[in-house]
Amino acid sequence: MTGDQSGYSWNEAEKDLMEGIDTTVPHSARIWNYWLGGKDNYPVDRAAGDAFLKAYPGMAAEARANRQFLSRAIRYLVIEAGVRQFLDVGTGLPTADNTHEIAQRLNPACRIVYVDNDPLVLAHARALLTSTPEGVTDYVDADLREPGKILDAAARTLDFSVPVALILSGIMGHIADGEGPHAIVGRLLARLPSGSYLMLQDGTTVSQANADALEDYNSSGAIPYHLRTPDEITRYFDGLDVVEPGIIPIQQWRPDPAEPAEPYADVNTFGGIGRKK
Amino acid sequence: MGAGRPAHGLGEEMSAMQAGPTVVRMVLGGRLRQLREAKGITPADAGWAIRGSHSKINRMETGRSGFKRRDVSDLLTLYGVHDETERRGLMMLVEKANVPGWLAEYADVLPGPAGTRLELEQCARVIRCYDNQFVPALLQTADYARALIRLHRPGAPPAEVERRLGLLANRQQILRGPGPCRLWAVIDEAALRRQPGNAAALRRQLQKLADITRLPHMKIQVMPFTTGVAAGGAITLLRFAEPRIADIVYLDQFAGALYLDKPADVQHYGQVMDRLCTRAEPPAVTPALLSRIIKEI
Repeated sequence: MTGDQSGYSWNEAEKDLMEGIDTTVPHSARIWNYWLGGKDNYPVDRAAGDAFLKAYPGMAAEARANRQFLSRAIRYLVIEAGVRQFLDVGTGLPTADNTHEIAQRLNPACRIVYVDNDPLVLAHARALLTSTPEGVTDYVDADLREPGKILDAAARTLDFSVPVALILSGIMGHIADGEGPHAIVGRLLARLPSGSYLMLQDGTTVSQANADALEDYNSSGAIPYHLRTPDEITRYFDGLDVVEPGIIPIQQWRPDPAEPAEPYADVNTFGGIGRKK
Repeated sequence: MGAGRPAHGLGEEMSAMQAGPTVVRMVLGGRLRQLREAKGITPADAGWAIRGSHSKINRMETGRSGFKRRDVSDLLTLYGVHDETERRGLMMLVEKANVPGWLAEYADVLPGPAGTRLELEQCARVIRCYDNQFVPALLQTADYARALIRLHRPGAPPAEVERRLGLLANRQQILRGPGPCRLWAVIDEAALRRQPGNAAALRRQLQKLADITRLPHMKIQVMPFTTGVAAGGAITLLRFAEPRIADIVYLDQFAGALYLDKPADVQHYGQVMDRLCTRAEPPAVTPALLSRIIKEI
């Protein structure tokens, strides 16, 4: 994809200003924003998002299911597991129910550290993902490939002597096999105390249509995303006590009877919660 | 909103309808039309459902008449809108469309388009703004604002100046109280150093900005001289509670404000705002930058 598809002619001052924001390459956080009905996306993202949906129409429902699972998981972590601290890596652009909003609605004293390496995501997060007066939200500019840097920065806000829930929601696919995705999760969990939790969900290779759509996306010049098998998703939880009902399609994870059930054809995103012994 | 807001008696609702804010009605009407068309319902059938005619529906959808809560509620049900958040967002617009409230009392200092702008501002859920000349209006102290009014309207009688200050104070109410509007401002260092009044007034203004940085719903980012990035002039982007109502952009110009609602224009300035906020210093740095400037004044 080339060129700014808005057809807008930029004046010289604006061209200078825009230098550095690439409006010609689709951007995963902005595409998710588009799929979820947000307005913080550009023409190139909508074109890529539409192309993806054409190849894999189930993605829109899957994107919503991803957010609903996040909601149910945070509710479980706050209400049943009693967690008060969250480390959410791969924040994404603000949407309707963000991690800290769900957690602080249930307990205003919850402390949340958001981590992302994208300047646009960080700017929106710092401005809009703001805490209750009783709790805290903090923002860390770091790459998932630097678990040590993430943990050092998170330790400014979170108390690592008390359990922390690590949230990895639709983010692990940014790490290629050669970069050791499982080792990264292991290193993040290593510094968290016993009784901490991992909530992780990610797309899998179950749906061929999804895999095909992603292959096209990855060849568009966007930062590539890597799908894994359900077994590989389950392996992220090795050594943890997996919370019932296990690592399964997210729509089936403790569905909320009060939530409008989203009809879905594919069970493609797998996830769950594990507790550190 | 301010003190002028009437209670929900039927009579007051009827009288308020005659002077309902135009653009809010257009926004709400446009949304009702979208919803109706998506369901393939004719204006005549929709009119019947609310005890009216097809022309009543047409008037509502083009913003030429006011709205009754019951009519809009019935239409939303007819159009299959059951999501509580969406219904609440649209019903909130009904109130804004029907109740000019305190704004109508300032008609003498608000020519039509300026009034429209403030109507929309009062409906916004998130206001993103950029200014490279002055502190944005919603963040101004009375002294700072008074000095600006005197600069822009040198012959204005004192009574008019006070009217304008009263209007500003009312506008600023959307940032107070429970569930306030969010404000996300990028302010150029030049705007923080320019002195429309005297040094003491500017210091108090900057101190007010510093106090604001402690509020969770208001975020200020400073664009320092060292960054070298600036847009042509002030930009305001309004976002509404109802997710399917499009954002609106205002560009402040010397002779007034340019109103933009075409998707390509709004898109363009959304990207400009994204660029500005990613280049400006993060909000956490703002208090230190402000106290440095205060010391240097």
